[in-house]
Amino acid sequence: MACRGRGGPGQPPSAALSPVSPGSLSASRTSAHNICMVSDFFYPNMGGVESHIYQLSQCLIERGHKVIVVTHAYGTRKGIRYLTNGLKVYYLPLKVMYNQSTATTLFHSLPLLRYIFVRERVTIIHSHSSFSAMAHDALFHAKTMGLQTVFTDHSLFGFADVSSVLTNKLLTVSLCDTNHIICVSFTSKENTVLRAALNPEIVSVIPNAVDPTDFTPDPFRRHDSIITVIVVSRLVYRKGTDLLSGIIPELCQKYPDLHFIIGGEGPKRIILEEVRERYQLHDRVRLLGALEHKDVRNVLVQGHIFLNTSLTEAFCMAIVEAASCGLQVVSTRVGGIPEVLPESLIILCEPSVKSLCEGLEKAIFQLRSGMLPAPEDIHNIVKTFYTWRNVAERTEKVYDRVAEEAVLPMDQRLDRLISHCGPVTGYIFALLAVFNFLFLVLLRWIIPDSIIDVAVDATGPRGTWTHQHPHSEDKVEDSGKCKTR
Amino acid sequence: MCAQPVTNTKEVRWQKVLYERQPFPDNYVDRRFLEELRKNIYARKYQYWAVVFESSVVVQQLCSVCVFVVIWWYMDEGLLAPHWLFGTGLASSLIGYVLFDLIDGGEGRKKSGRTRWADLKSALVFITFTYGFSPVLKTLTESVSTDTIYAMSVFMLLGHLIFFDYGANAAIVSSTLSLNMAIFASVCLASRLPRSLHAFIMVTFAIQIFALWPMLQKKLKARTPRSYVGVTLLFAFSALGGLLSISVVGAILFALLLISISCLCPFYLIRLQLFKENIHGPWDEAEIKEDLSRFLS
Amino acid sequence: MVLKAFFPTCCVSADSGLLVGRWVPEQSSAVVLAVVHFPFIPVQVKELLAQVQQVSRVGVTVLGTWCHHRQEPQESLGHFLEGLGAIFSHEPWLQLCRERDSKSWTCKATRRQTPTAAGEDQVLLIFYDQRKVLLSQLHPPAALPDRQAGDATPSARGLAVVFDTVARSETLFRSDRFDEGPVRLSHWQSEGVEASILVELLTRASGPVCLLLSWLLSLLSAVGSCWSRLRRHRGEQVCFWNRLKAVDPSSSHVPPKVGTGLSGSRSERSVPQLPRRPVEKPVRHVAEELQHLLQWLMGAPAGLKMNRALDQVLGRFFLYHIHLWISYVHLTSPFIERILWHVGFSACLGLTVAMSVLSDIIALLTFHIYCFYVYGARCAVLRAGGPPGGLYCLKICGLSSLWRLFRGKKWNVLRQRVDSCSYDLDQLFIGTLLFTILVFLLPTTALYYLVFTLLRLLVVAVQGLIHLLVDVINSLPLYSLGLRLCRPYRLAGSLPRRPADPPLSFQMQPLPYSRVVRVYRLPSCGCHPQHSWGSLCRKLFSGELIYPWRQRADKQD
Repeated sequence: MACRGRGGPGQPPSAALSPVSPGSLSASRTSAHNICMVSDFFYPNMGGVESHIYQLSQCLIERGHKVIVVTHAYGTRKGIRYLTNGLKVYYLPLKVMYNQSTATTLFHSLPLLRYIFVRERVTIIHSHSSFSAMAHDALFHAKTMGLQTVFTDHSLFGFADVSSVLTNKLLTVSLCDTNHIICVSFTSKENTVLRAALNPEIVSVIPNAVDPTDFTPDPFRRHDSIITVIVVSRLVYRKGTDLLSGIIPELCQKYPDLHFIIGGEGPKRIILEEVRERYQLHDRVRLLGALEHKDVRNVLVQGHIFLNTSLTEAFCMAIVEAASCGLQVVSTRVGGIPEVLPESLIILCEPSVKSLCEGLEKAIFQLRSGMLPAPEDIHNIVKTFYTWRNVAERTEKVYDRVAEEAVLPMDQRLDRLISHCGPVTGYIFALLAVFNFLFLVLLRWIIPDSIIDVAVDATGPRGTWTHQHPHSEDKVEDSGKCKTR
Repeated sequence: MCAQPVTNTKEVRWQKVLYERQPFPDNYVDRRFLEELRKNIYARKYQYWAVVFESSVVVQQLCSVCVFVVIWWYMDEGLLAPHWLFGTGLASSLIGYVLFDLIDGGEGRKKSGRTRWADLKSALVFITFTYGFSPVLKTLTESVSTDTIYAMSVFMLLGHLIFFDYGANAAIVSSTLSLNMAIFASVCLASRLPRSLHAFIMVTFAIQIFALWPMLQKKLKARTPRSYVGVTLLFAFSALGGLLSISVVGAILFALLLISISCLCPFYLIRLQLFKENIHGPWDEAEIKEDLSRFLS
Repeated sequence: MVLKAFFPTCCVSADSGLLVGRWVPEQSSAVVLAVVHFPFIPVQVKELLAQVQQVSRVGVTVLGTWCHHRQEPQESLGHFLEGLGAIFSHEPWLQLCRERDSKSWTCKATRRQTPTAAGEDQVLLIFYDQRKVLLSQLHPPAALPDRQAGDATPSARGLAVVFDTVARSETLFRSDRFDEGPVRLSHWQSEGVEASILVELLTRASGPVCLLLSWLLSLLSAVGSCWSRLRRHRGEQVCFWNRLKAVDPSSSHVPPKVGTGLSGSRSERSVPQLPRRPVEKPVRHVAEELQHLLQWLMGAPAGLKMNRALDQVLGRFFLYHIHLWISYVHLTSPFIERILWHVGFSACLGLTVAMSVLSDIIALLTFHIYCFYVYGARCAVLRAGGPPGGLYCLKICGLSSLWRLFRGKKWNVLRQRVDSCSYDLDQLFIGTLLFTILVFLLPTTALYYLVFTLLRLLVVAVQGLIHLLVDVINSLPLYSLGLRLCRPYRLAGSLPRRPADPPLSFQMQPLPYSRVVRVYRLPSCGCHPQHSWGSLCRKLFSGELIYPWRQRADKQD
């Protein structure tokens, strides 16, 4: 197994020539992969998907794989950038259509993506987020090019309305010949299996993680004379800001020593402001506006109770972060939230003002009677739950499994599309797949793969990046911490 | 290779939790997979006649538009004296006004806290402004071609029908926009009438039929459903009769439209319910069932 | 290591002696300023240098020796020169030697304190014209503030140092080899005393002469304009009497009007003789055209369907306004003419004054167009916070808010956004009624607004052009341009050295004209155009008033 060559058809010559330090190689038992993470969402955009890609990439680099990230250009940030440990990021000049997601024609990105895949000698395409058009494009092209594909779904979808019917159909098409799918929670897995009509065997559940060193408790930062409830989320309908606007007046009338600190920005901020004005709670409800990720911890440690009012959630990172900071978490019982934290650390409520108020009152009662464990204890429990190293380890297993699988050849792929996606959609997309293949043939004729330059591998312990700067060795060792930018 | 060999799993039960490392591979599928899946839990069972009854709101509104257009046509042709229309309108308004209070015994008035003086003031404002502006209205669209005016009126009346608040909770509903479009259409049409008195009376009539009449209807429907059905039938027949006196083909088409809306559409709604397959589960976006506006009002 | 030695061309033919100059260690270059001839007493040389150093604050030292073989090479002189190095210790010690045929030069730079073989450096000899370098100013003028402050550490930037050194050691050039002083020097002054004095005088004088010339020029233009005015007036009188005969007295109600610009003015002497009906062809033409325009607008302009009633009302209003304006001008025209006549003399203060006056007169005489525009757009008086009072702006504002009402929304002033709102029935009714009326009346008002805005834009364009011209004239650096024309070397560009055959020589590259204008541009009075094209169009659309220039007070508000 260990001698199974290193990755795909050709390793970058620079990396092949460079001396391999035995210590770093021993860390990875299995073969190294050349992984390309594709998503519309990446730094400088901020969110769960973005930090997932970044942290996972860092830990995979640490484990000896070569990782590159492909995303679209953000304003003036375009071209190629290198992040920590030589993580190479391609910011492609594609048009953003809506909500940072690129417009797709299914074809226009093929020349660029093919060039990148060939030049980086990519063996596994790992797409993220079903909202990202670029991720689906990359899956489509990768299958045309005969590369292994992995997809991570970060979100939940309903089945009720017309738009979800359409998006689910597209997801079915996109995932019907994807080698493996990763979901962040069991609920998310059920949802994805239903939406894309998948075999549940090729869907793995690998939760997100948080960096426990970034979220440490600091009990001295909070005032114990008052009770502070922290809410950190985008202020949108899906995050239950409307519920929050009902909870605040209800509880503030009941508990005169209750304070709210609300971090985040969004279209629903206005109703919170209205509530605050109406009930004259300016001294007790603080609206902080948009928070940077690095500031979240400083907000969290100021409170005793963390309130999450989301109406849907695949895997709630916020409650893990809050619990890691030693807060008592009160949350709605939706999506994958019940799977995330054990009963002792979370109070689950129904998504209604009444139930959430009861949950909060229970938490307040526990807090006053001193029944809650100390923040340090909570932190010590939570920090063992989710780590990026563990995530990377499990993702690596998925890569290993995928690398052994065969990519469906063109005829089988078309059969599968037609049989799996329904008569109309199946034929349409089979036709598109054929077009895509012809386009690829044309591109290969214009610029053959053999004359495309091979990129220098800059990542990881074996990358040229480290060898040119031997004194940065300690930095590489340190990369396990996976600092957020 | 993807996971450790599945050993000793007989004793350990799989749990649907993420925070524990379980001796199962990541792609393990338990028996409990999808056990929380539910189907059609929110599907409503419809009764045919109840749906027909509800559809009467649409019928009423269609009839209102029809009656309005018919009356305008009569006025335009000079077949209807404005004094007569004004008298009838005034009388029916007074009757409606009395009925409005009688139906619920003044409860609604008490709840809204609106005085009769306010009603009188509103009525005065209507009449004064309409009367004052009627000469302007008369000359307003002189230079605009009649076809343009007709097209605009048709669009506005269609918009009125689309945006009208039939009781459904949808984003497109806007009773304000609906009413405004109706008034716009009536002003456009009124400006085509021969004299300014005609225009004044036409706009007054538009207010009565588009603004006041639906209010009375709503109350009738809530309080005395039976009489509401009667009123609806009466109204529909009178609209049909009016249309018949103008155009037989139009009347037949209109009758077909009314029948299809009140009888065929409910039938199809109930038939199509059988094919409904709605999947629900823990991944669904939770609905906020409470009325949260009470915190803000 | 390569040493650069800057050597003045005027010293090429000087007798043998000592090289006096400045050593710039940062650039490893030596700037030779002058040659001290034999015989001299070393102490006196040192004294002189110390004096110079005190005054100019430039580290002037003896750099080495200069040896010019006019006859057969003298062995003894060479040895003597080598010995001098011991007296004037300098590191490195330059030895320049010129053979008789003036073609072959030898340069040597020795370092005494370095015992190794590398004690001799290569020397790159660069000739420079000392006079030109002294007089010219290098651009960009980086060393300028240093010199003014008398700072001992000049800007250490390559050539700037050379220019700086030469310019600051003017005291060194006071004495030369024709003086009776103890030390005889050879530098640019010594090329020919008489000629240099003349050149210097001329150079000094060129500035005032330029100023004088420009003043004369403006005077000439002013006198010319006055003269032309007088002449025109004389011609006009004849013309006028001819016309009086032709014009029927009964047509006296044809509105006369004062002309634009200076042409409408009349001499004091002639005013009493004239009846109060000054007839000016272009003026009458403008008034008639305006009336025609209004009459055209009151019909069906360009086949547009306008609201007839409103059209008539507006047309009559504006016609009446023109009538008012004409009668007003008719009444005041004698006074205005007199005033204009006097004001016209201000032209002798300069061209720009005349042009500014012209601009103001245009503004004054097109006041009716401005008024129309303001009526059409909005009321200027109410601009500061009050409700807009003009036709079009009122209409646009009303329409936009009524459109919000039409959709069941309202503008939230506190939050600066559109909120949804539930209106009462009577509010809705009146709002929609007004909305309908305004929508149907909008084309009529918009057309009037459009026409008057175009007129206004025409006037604004003319005024803006005049302002631009005045601004250009005001800020044009005439003296610098003149200097560039007559003495190009005085304004040296940034790259004065051109590589030529060795030995290199310093070629002055004069500053290009565009850069002269850019560098010496006077600060203008800030009449920048107020709007970008986009904002102009937006303002025109929303009916806000436009002005040709930016007003300082407005900007601060």
